[in-house]
Amino acid sequence: MSWDKIIIGAGLYGLYCARFCGLRGERVLVLEADSGAFCRATYINQARVHMGYHYPRSYSTAVKSAGYFRRFLDDYGFCVHTSFDQVYATSAAYSWTNAAEFRRFCAAAGIRCDDVPPSRYFNPGLCDGAFLTEEYTYDAQVLKEYFLKELAALPNVRVQYGAPVTAIEQKATHFELTAGGARYESGFVVNAAYAGVNTILQMLGYEPFGIKYELCEIILCTVSERLRDVGITVMDGPFFSIMPFGKTGLHSLTSVTFTPHSTSYEATPHFACQQKEGALCRGGLLGNCDDCPHKPRSAWDYMSQLARKYLREEYGFAYQRSLFSMKPILKASEIDDSRPTVIRTFSKAPTFVSVLSGKINTVYDMEEVLADGGE
Amino acid sequence: MAGNKEKNFASAVVYVKNDAARIGGFLTCLYGILEENFEKYEIICVNDNSSDGSGEAMRAFMRENRPARPLTIVNLSISQGMELAMNAGLDLAIGDFVFEFDRPQMDYPQEMVMESYRTALTGFDIVSVGPRRTPRLASRLFYGVFNRYSKSQYQLGTDVFRLVSRRAIHRVHAVNPTLVYRKAAYAASGLKLRQLFYDDPCGRAAGQERGYRTDLALDSLALYTDAAYKVSLSVSLVFLALTLFSGIYTVVIYFSRAHIEGWTTTMLLLSGGFFGVFLVLTIVVKYLSLLVGLVFRRQKYLVESVEKLQGDEG
Repeated sequence: MSWDKIIIGAGLYGLYCARFCGLRGERVLVLEADSGAFCRATYINQARVHMGYHYPRSYSTAVKSAGYFRRFLDDYGFCVHTSFDQVYATSAAYSWTNAAEFRRFCAAAGIRCDDVPPSRYFNPGLCDGAFLTEEYTYDAQVLKEYFLKELAALPNVRVQYGAPVTAIEQKATHFELTAGGARYESGFVVNAAYAGVNTILQMLGYEPFGIKYELCEIILCTVSERLRDVGITVMDGPFFSIMPFGKTGLHSLTSVTFTPHSTSYEATPHFACQQKEGALCRGGLLGNCDDCPHKPRSAWDYMSQLARKYLREEYGFAYQRSLFSMKPILKASEIDDSRPTVIRTFSKAPTFVSVLSGKINTVYDMEEVLADGGE
Repeated sequence: MAGNKEKNFASAVVYVKNDAARIGGFLTCLYGILEENFEKYEIICVNDNSSDGSGEAMRAFMRENRPARPLTIVNLSISQGMELAMNAGLDLAIGDFVFEFDRPQMDYPQEMVMESYRTALTGFDIVSVGPRRTPRLASRLFYGVFNRYSKSQYQLGTDVFRLVSRRAIHRVHAVNPTLVYRKAAYAASGLKLRQLFYDDPCGRAAGQERGYRTDLALDSLALYTDAAYKVSLSVSLVFLALTLFSGIYTVVIYFSRAHIEGWTTTMLLLSGGFFGVFLVLTIVVKYLSLLVGLVFRRQKYLVESVEKLQGDEG
């Protein structure tokens, strides 16, 4: 059976593409390895709707984030939690930036940055600046419900769950995919498999993205009254962030040093845990780390200790549960800390496009390539 | 067993400078002690630009031993001495209690590590452990002068490691962000300090003061004691006596037959003027050096990289 477009991965990028093309009347198939949508990185991350604060060393990333921020709020405001104080602070020690630098950066990028006394949130001497900023958090579950409802209304779009792509072949006019035991054909394939992106590229012999992989842990916490409507991010270095996790009422706790548990520098993810009995990764395909019996021991001890070192005692928080996911990081973005959204077209007619992005609000970048190829 | 372990998070900061030969043995001991006693702990080694492959020795240790918890290595860009290096480690440490090991060698009874922790739990924010007898003459002299002129209620002495509570670290940072001399800053923090001693018959702790160079000693004396002030005061007093003497001498000459026209008034002016100049200069110089030390040392230390070596994730 032939489709106008086949999209690999039912994360935000995959479903956004499916809806975009579906609304144009195209016949679209989404192939998802897990049993549901938004089960990996779209759900398991800090849920930031990036305004650009996070990238004080990459002005271009910051400006682009700020631009898409408004549009995302207009389109998906219903899933965005806005009523809390998002505080960014610069650590006095070990930071790549400082208070004056951060102020200058925000002014240049044209984003809000109001000084607040660091002593309001932090123990003495640990932060040299604290700023009230405009940044929000999205709720992946609410967003998922919206997309699934929208797609259900489009009879020309199908989402196939439990269908990991195990083989792809390039024919003269189309690609032939094997997923979940069935065969599918399309002249236009979008590879939005995030951490699985290189595994798919390898099947076709295309050049893989220059990425490394980090097995990451995000901890969900219940918080004290004082912290309920506050999000705190200490930057830019080996620090932490504790901020509302969408509209769940919980906070997510992450840290630069303790969130990544182990790292793989190969083109496709290779980890010791994959070899263990009962591991979910099979035949080079990445399983869902969060469901795996071999997910690492939680780094709660370290992350909580780090956050407590900085935060004043009244900003209390307690462990609720951990979420694990695999995060691909472009190697080129290490030095300047940019997190570009990379969209690469590997083949035209038949068309093969891969996307790799760590931010939700740059999803709009996809429109151009989808519209182009569809003509 | 796990249930009996301490619930507090312990950090150990270790100063490493050309210690490739002994760092492995030290880490074995330290991991042993912490693993046995603490549920949660971390070890941070500050590599003060060692030239003998200390960094590689630590990586080899982690590869071979796979301890339960990770090891963090802070590599300093250039050699910056013990005080700055330990500040770098201290700033990274996240523990409720932080052990500061000035050198990676346990030539004291290992029980002292946990004894210092138990002492801290009885209500002391700072516990310092040292040999009963200060070994070197120079050290004795330094501590003698320091303690004589220090405003703190505690006497400092040679110590081999100390345990500091998070509260004490917050306190000293609230007072002054740059710790020129940690020991003195802790002693002056106003929190309770306790010294533990062990017998060191062979004087093995002798070489441990290597980081405390002369200029650090002078800085510390100027910042944490009033020795400098007292020295300048004594100098002024000597000059006062001298100028007073020359003044009297001038007056005597004036009334004697040897009186020379113009000389006496010049001498009076000179004596008085120089007295004032020396007095003001000594004070100004002292405060200037203090201000330079406090204001212009913003970049505290230069870190090249921080490595986190994973232990066995289990």
